[in-house]
Amino acid sequence: MNFTTISRIIKLGFTNFKRNWGLSLMATLVMTLTLIIISVFVIFNIVVNTTTESIKEKIDLAVYFKLDAEEKDIRVLEEKIKNRLDVRSVHFVTKEEALNRWNEMRISQKIKEQISEDENPLPFSLDIKTHRSEDLESVANYLSGKEFEIIVDRVSYKENKDIIEKMVNITNFSKKIGIILGIIFVVISVLVILNTVKLAIFTRTKEIEIMRLVGASEIFIRVPFVVEALLYALFATIFSLLLIWLGIYFISPMVTQYLGEVQLNMQEFFISNLLWIFLLEFIFSAIISVFCSIISMGKHLKI
Amino acid sequence: MIEFIHIYKDYNKVHALKNINIKIASGEFVSLVGPSGAGKSTLIRLLIREEKPISGKIFVAKRNIVRLKSSELPFYRRRIGTIFQDFKLLPQKTIYENVAFALEVCDVPQEEIDIKVKKILKLVSLSEKADVYPNAVSGGEKQRAAIARALVHSPKILIADEPTGNLDPTNAWEIIELLKKINHAGTLVILATHNQAIVDKLRQRVIVLKNGKVASDQRGGKYII
Repeated sequence: MNFTTISRIIKLGFTNFKRNWGLSLMATLVMTLTLIIISVFVIFNIVVNTTTESIKEKIDLAVYFKLDAEEKDIRVLEEKIKNRLDVRSVHFVTKEEALNRWNEMRISQKIKEQISEDENPLPFSLDIKTHRSEDLESVANYLSGKEFEIIVDRVSYKENKDIIEKMVNITNFSKKIGIILGIIFVVISVLVILNTVKLAIFTRTKEIEIMRLVGASEIFIRVPFVVEALLYALFATIFSLLLIWLGIYFISPMVTQYLGEVQLNMQEFFISNLLWIFLLEFIFSAIISVFCSIISMGKHLKI
Repeated sequence: MIEFIHIYKDYNKVHALKNINIKIASGEFVSLVGPSGAGKSTLIRLLIREEKPISGKIFVAKRNIVRLKSSELPFYRRRIGTIFQDFKLLPQKTIYENVAFALEVCDVPQEEIDIKVKKILKLVSLSEKADVYPNAVSGGEKQRAAIARALVHSPKILIADEPTGNLDPTNAWEIIELLKKINHAGTLVILATHNQAIVDKLRQRVIVLKNGKVASDQRGGKYII
């Protein structure tokens, strides 16, 4: 087979794609939908995962001390915690620093004015970071123990723990839904493409008969169908990427606002990984459509 | 050139061909006649290897085509030209493109296609209609285009299955004249028909098929049923 033949086969695939534009459009759209559904769930998972990770990273343990606790007692405790192997850092928050943090919080001025330097009811506290988030619990348990009951007022760990667990649950749930919906749409697009190729073969029965008659090789008869299948995949990838980009363009600001401090630039992520996303989507959809095309040809194309 | 040896063919246990033995030399003009259902089309389908017999051998140029592998079929079909009653032209291609298509599917370079197609269209007197679509030409011209396509590979055998079936007598006779011309140039022509007038006028070898058997085989014969 020479270059002329290859180019003729490809040209024939393109011509057939154009000539059966109704069928081609249907196959391309279903494939686009499948890619979008899967991509949306992948993106959603990336967002949730990034958020969870970023929150996990920020999570520390805050120990608030009773207002009558002496600073020197707290310093002793600080040293003890620092010596623990699972603890990465301990930061002593003075009353002044607590006030500064209070003033930086996004709350109304009226509430802020309730606390001033002269009248500062904010307690001393320790910010403790561990090497692994799993270690937080044992540190929290240690601090909640009888030994420090007199000075420790509250260990804020439980609330964060609940948030993390919720996020992990959301991620797992969305992964499951994503996989189920993904499978459903893959099945639908497989069925549609199987039928599209079947119809394409039937509408071209006469042409295939003539091709056989004049001695066209099997490659010449079959490969244009594969070229068509690749075109469905290519256009589906382009359409889905365009729509996903549009979606990200409009939704991204809202997500960023919702996530607040969590840094996740979806547009930047999308653009900088565009080539990979394109290749992944194209390879994925090409495998599906070429596979369907070959199955359909085997069933309906008698040569 | 062509030899059918003890050919049997069934369709759903109904005998279509029974013990067919025919030998055709290169350069012959053979008319295959008989009433509908006699087995003419079956014999042609076996010859172009669209189907296989239940038993028997078919030699074409000393090769038993019954045993051809499917990968060898395209190459075999390029060596025989076939025309049909319904022309089998692609409506969305011009006359030129229809003829060129036969070469395009066979790895022939574009320059060679151009030379061959122009030459063959001249032979069938269709040079003027090269850029016209099949539905804009007459039945006779459609069949001439089909002949051009069948001949563009320069085959040694031309098989015509009821080529005049859809044509008026004038056009039909034009086609037969063309087939005679092709035969004179050295191509073996097999003409399956039930047009008695044509067969009688040809005065060539006539093979009569009846109920799947060879009823008669005469040189310079007539259409007798």
